[in-house]
This record gives sequence, C-alpha cells and structure tokens, in this order.
Amino acid sequence: MTDVADLLERQSIVELPARARCQALLDSAGQRELLGPFERLRSPWLPKQDIVTQADDGVVIMRGTLGGQAVVMAAVEPAFQGGSMGEVGGAKIAGALACALADAENGTPVVPILLLETGGVRLQEANCGLAAIAEIHDLIVALRAYVPVIGVVTGPVGCFGGMSIAAGLCSELIVTREARLGLNGPQVIEQEAGVDEFDSRDRPMIWSLLGGEQRVTTGLAEHRVADDIAALRRLLGERVKADVQTPARLAATERFENLLAAIDPAAKATGESTREQFAATGATS
Amino acid sequence: MSPNAVPRQWNTRAVDKQRRLDRITHLLSDKVAPRASIAEVLYGCITSGDRVIAEGNNQKQADFLSRALADLDPERLHDLHMIQPSVGRPEHLAVFEKGIAKKLDFAFSGTQSHRIGALMMDGTIEVGAIHTYIELYARLFVDLIPKVVLTAAFKADRAGNLYTGPSTEDTPALVEAAAFSGGIVIAQANEIVDDVSQLDRVDIPGSWVDVVVEADRPFYIEPLFTRDPRHITNVQIFMAMMAIKGIYAEHGVASLNHGIGFNTAAIELLLPTYGEKLGLKGQIAKNWVLNPHPTLIPAIESGWVESVHCFGTELGMEDYVAARGDVFFTGHDGSLRSNRAFCQLAGQYAADMFIGATLQIDPDGNSSTVTTSRVSGFGGAPNLGSDARGRRHATPAWADLADENDPLGRGRKLVVQMVETFQAGLTPTFVDELDAVTVAKKANLAVAPVMVYGDDTTHLLTEEGIAYLYMAESLAERRAMIAAVAGVTPLGRAADPAETRRLREAGKVKWPSDLGVSRAEATRSQLAASSIADLVDWSGGLYNPPARFRSW
Repeated sequence: MTDVADLLERQSIVELPARARCQALLDSAGQRELLGPFERLRSPWLPKQDIVTQADDGVVIMRGTLGGQAVVMAAVEPAFQGGSMGEVGGAKIAGALACALADAENGTPVVPILLLETGGVRLQEANCGLAAIAEIHDLIVALRAYVPVIGVVTGPVGCFGGMSIAAGLCSELIVTREARLGLNGPQVIEQEAGVDEFDSRDRPMIWSLLGGEQRVTTGLAEHRVADDIAALRRLLGERVKADVQTPARLAATERFENLLAAIDPAAKATGESTREQFAATGATS
Repeated sequence: MSPNAVPRQWNTRAVDKQRRLDRITHLLSDKVAPRASIAEVLYGCITSGDRVIAEGNNQKQADFLSRALADLDPERLHDLHMIQPSVGRPEHLAVFEKGIAKKLDFAFSGTQSHRIGALMMDGTIEVGAIHTYIELYARLFVDLIPKVVLTAAFKADRAGNLYTGPSTEDTPALVEAAAFSGGIVIAQANEIVDDVSQLDRVDIPGSWVDVVVEADRPFYIEPLFTRDPRHITNVQIFMAMMAIKGIYAEHGVASLNHGIGFNTAAIELLLPTYGEKLGLKGQIAKNWVLNPHPTLIPAIESGWVESVHCFGTELGMEDYVAARGDVFFTGHDGSLRSNRAFCQLAGQYAADMFIGATLQIDPDGNSSTVTTSRVSGFGGAPNLGSDARGRRHATPAWADLADENDPLGRGRKLVVQMVETFQAGLTPTFVDELDAVTVAKKANLAVAPVMVYGDDTTHLLTEEGIAYLYMAESLAERRAMIAAVAGVTPLGRAADPAETRRLREAGKVKWPSDLGVSRAEATRSQLAASSIADLVDWSGGLYNPPARFRSW
C-alpha cells in the first residue's frame, strides 16, 4: 500500500547540492562553514588546463551539532568535476579531520561525518589529489580510536577510487539503494577488462555487484537508508552518539584473505554468487 | 442490360480471397501455419502489386512477419504497396531496397527517420503521402483498402482469436479494413493456445483472421514513453510551474493529452506537489488521453487522475495498470486495452488541451520536428495539436477561448507549445524558415511537413513567459507576441520593447513575475519523484521498469 503523505514529505538528499545537504542535516542553530567559498580557495591546477574553478573547490566543510552532539561534516559536491578530489578540496577534508583529531585528543570530541559523492582523485591534479586522499585515510584511522567516523554514500554518482578506500576505513558506512561503492567505476573496469568482463551499460548487473543493497548484505556497509533527508538525519543523530564500532570488515582481515583465495577469477561473478562467497567465508558477520 | 453483356460478377473479392487461401490450405491445421512454412504462406496470399499492411505501430511491431516478407524473392513478389502507421524496423525499409515493395503510405517513422529520408530522396521509395494516424486509418476504408494485413498478438488460439491485450494499439483498425473487404489477415503470436478458453480475453474475433503463426521470438516493443525523472532540469520545472498556473489553472483544463518530452513529464510530477499547494486538485488535469506514462504514477496515487485512455501501452506498467482498473481501460482479465484510433479521436474531439514540445518554430508560430535529412512523419501530433472544427460540445476550458462578443462565437482546443528558446547545442528554437520547407522540396512532398500550424497554436510557453496567442487580433500581433517570449534568439532580440510592454499590459503576454512564479522555487526538490526508483515506490512496487532505467 502506497503511503502518499509519506512519499510527498520525502525530501531527496541526492537532489540537494553539497552545502544544502549539510544545512539540511545539521541542527539548524549554530551551523558554521569552514573555509567557505568567500575564502576563494581555488584549485591552482585547473586554470592551467583551461578548466573553470569553483570558489570552494567542490568541498564544503561545516561545523555544527547533530541532535546536540558536536560534529564536523565534509560534503563533496557531485556537480563539480564529478565530485573529484583535488589538492585543495582534499586538503580541506584532511584539515577538518586533523582539527577533529586534535579536539578528540583534548577530550572535546567532534564526530566527523563524510558525505562521499565522488569519483575519486581529480585526474587533472593527479598525485597532489592522491596525497590529500592518503592524508584523509591516515586521519580516519587515527580518529577511530576516539570517535565514530561516519561515511555516507547516497548516489547516483557513487563513491569510487581512493575515496572508496576512505569510505571503507570509516567505522560506520551508510548507503542508499542507489549508492554505488567500488574501487574502480564500471566504465574503468569495462575499459581495462573488456565489455565481456563488465558491461558498463548493464545497470542491473552493476547495482547487483556495487549497489548499496549488495554492500550492506555483504557486510561492506552497515546501514541502508532511504533517499530522504529526515530519515538520514534520524539515523545520523543516533549514530553520532553511539560508541565507536569496529565492524568485521575492519577487524577480520584474514577472512578477506580467505575469501580472495577462494575466488576463481575465471568464473563470472554475479550479485548472488558474491553474496554466497561472502557468507561462506563468514566475512559478513 | 444489353442482351450480349456478360452479367457482372459481384463477388470477385471473395473469389480471389478463396483462390489465395486454397493455395495454402494444405499447410494449415485449423488456422495455424507452421513457422517454417511462412514464406510459402506469404507467396500464396500475396500477389505482386498488392496493398499490404505490415503492422508497425508506435510500439508493437509485427516483426516476425515483416522479416519473413523481407526474405522473399523479389523475382516472385514485387511492386507491393506498403501501408504502415509506423515504419520502425530496419526490415520495413529492406523490402524497398530489395525491390519487393515500391510504394509507401505511412504516418510515422521514428527510429528509421534518417534512412527513410535518404531512400525517399534517391527514389527507392515512392511515397504516396505522409499521414497522421487517423487520417491513414480513414483511408484504409476509402482509397487504400488493404489486400493483406500482417498483424501481431500476444496470444492466438487455433481458431484465430487474438489476444492483443495492452498492445492492442492499431490492430482493430487495420484488421477491420481487410477482414470486411475480402482481404486476408495473417497474425503472428508469441504463443498459440489450443482453445479460446486459454486466452486472457479476445481482442480480435477469430472470424476476422485467416492465418496464425507462432513467432520465433516475442514481438518487439519499445519503451517510448518512459522519462527518467533524473534528467528533468530546473528550467523545465520552472516552465512546468508556469504551465500549471498560467494555463491549466487559468483556463480550468480538465481533459488533456501530454507530449512525451521531459517538459510535460515535469508537469506530471509537479501536480501532487506544486499543484496541490495551489489548491488545484479536482479542478484540473482529471481526464487523460495518454499512454501509461510512469511519471503519471504520483498524480494517480495522490488522487488527481480520474481516467486515462491509452493509445498503446508502456513496458513495465502492466501490473500497475491492471491494479488501477478504476483509472485505466482494462478488460475482464484485468489487463489494459489500448486502441490508438479511438484514443486519437478522443484527443482530437474530447480533450480540452494538447501540450507538447517541438524542435523549430517560425515567426508565425508554425512548428515542426522535421529537420533536414530526417523525415519522422506526423504520428498523432497534428490531430491532437489542432482545433477540431467539427466539435459541437462545450467544456469550460474550450469555451474560455471563445470570443464573448460574437453571438456565434465558439470555443477552441488549447494547443500549447512548450519550448526552451534554445535547443541543445545552442541552436535557436526560433528560425526564419522551418527545415520542413526544404525537406518538402528535396523529397518531393506535396505538403511541407508542418506538425502544428501557427493558427492552431493557442499558447506558446518558453522560459521567458507565456504568449496567449489565441488573443492575437492580427497576424502582426501574433508575431509580436511570439517574438516577446523568444528570449535572446535572433527573433527575440528583434522584438520591440514598447510593443512587448503593451502586450504585457493587455495580458496577452505574461512574464513569470506576472504569474507569481519564482525562479528560485523552481528546483528538482519540487518533483514528487526524482528517480525511477521513486516511481517504483510510488507504485507500491507494481511498476517494473525495463533494466536500462534501473539505478539500484
């Protein structure tokens, strides 16, 4: 039975730009953007390649509270350069995480929340972007000793490349069913391995392997949420106050080694077969 | 009667039909022909020079039979005169390239529009005329009476009863023309059952059908009417808001047809949100002449829609439609019954409004989707997008356009063109002369393929505003109104600002601010559904979109 009132009230996260996502998710009082667009922190590399820059380099950092808990939210803007991580945008996230780590060490915990709508490193900035991503990885691991580090992937851009590793390092990962999470994106896999291996236009196949539903079922993400601001806000409000979790995907590395050893790369993987393999090696629990 | 005259024989059509059927009786078991014998069946039933309909509809294609026809030997069978509502398959053109067919009368060419244009221009195809759908059906009963009809069904029984179900489309009109004029009807079916009790329902009675054959694969069907809400832009939402406020609400449009573009999909998705906010539910957009657009689901679920009659179906909408029998026309089996002939008539005579997009508009308001090298035909747009001169009943919206000072004043169908001033690639929508004029010369067409004439267009809506063209008192004024909403295209830049001001003051042209529509409000968050997945949620899981539209 369709709940019309509920459907009409839904406010899509995906439809909002990065800044509006932060504004809608944080408690309305006390929001403060750090290194906002008026700081004019632009990419120094894009103009050299005749690409128009953006005054926030496609990353929004916002301090505030969520259900009263102090948080810092970092949101990647999917509409700017495919949500790619450049030197400046990456450094903004790394800097925010470094501040959160200092706060945590001083006993005033600030919970980091990462809205990861990103194709990974910005190819035009190459190693400069990758260096920033490596810093982000390092800081997420350090932060996990003190506070939950929460990643959110909503779709439809998804979370790929080096930033998918950042997502994987989070102590909790929230996804929608339209989200996709994977190291290489479908087009990249098709280009490298051929269309027989991976047809990037076969949408049901792509989501059956990389989609939010599959990632939760196989234990690579913890929570599934509807593409709805209120639902995500509710869930985040609960998770920022919870104790730090160490999900199996972060702890039991030998399970994944067993899983890798058990996979026959010549056999065509399907959503179903992957679930079975994960279940058989106990990697989901 | 002179004594030596041979008495005229009055049943030559029936005799001829029997002679043809006698050639294939040995192949048939009841009315069923084995698939392998299809060439022999066609050679037996068709003679060179015959008028043949290969059912190509907007969506459903009798593709097994048209492939079989294209495989025949042009030495044995040639000079056929093909009649097709839609020329949508490569093999529809192969029969001309091989020399099996010579002449073509059609209505729409869709995906084959480039190739058909080339074949017309080099003389491979001799085109009788490019029609609208009901115009072509009409001629089947007057001067294009078919000898053989090749049609398609989901299921048939051994006696020739056909279940065409949601994809009934053109079949009744095409089959009737042959079945009652000594013609032969050959039907391909995805499945043949023994007995009529095994058919979901009978859409075409067996006595109208001469031969049935099981197809090698299910007939081809194209999801033409699925628009992914993901691709609707803020500009389209802005224009949709103007349409709802400045046209639907302004005139009280109760019954309507929508085009298939993203503009009108945006309107469908704004009814439950923006329309609801304006308090318009129950007053506008109640009775629809429309294929089962997935983007209409939220409006149906939130109680806006009283009825929908369909030209054809849409892939994935079968279960949803069957579960909404109060809204759609369905058979006792629950499945949709579409019928393009009736639906076109409904759209022409009983709908208050047609609203759609186009590719080019000239300074007089004539518009066309035909561009150089592309001959896409007319389909139904000219009928839906024109005033029905024979209409004699009044509805509030229709009557609202009447000249109240004229004692014989009659209302008008609202014909709305909704376009952005520039097409993709920054090509201006407003042009000095339609490409249709050039195409008519190159392809030797008697009539330039204009979709909707300027004098039929009552409203022109762009992102700049609405021109209420029906209020124009002269051709010069209509031109000024069109230029006033043509933005920064060359036509728009030539508009006289003083004249535009006068038109606004007279209420003949309205800017968004005149309508109280704010650009800042026009965001995708207004859409009742912003993705195909949302539409599935709205349908309670009944809508089953084709794989290519899934993103979960």
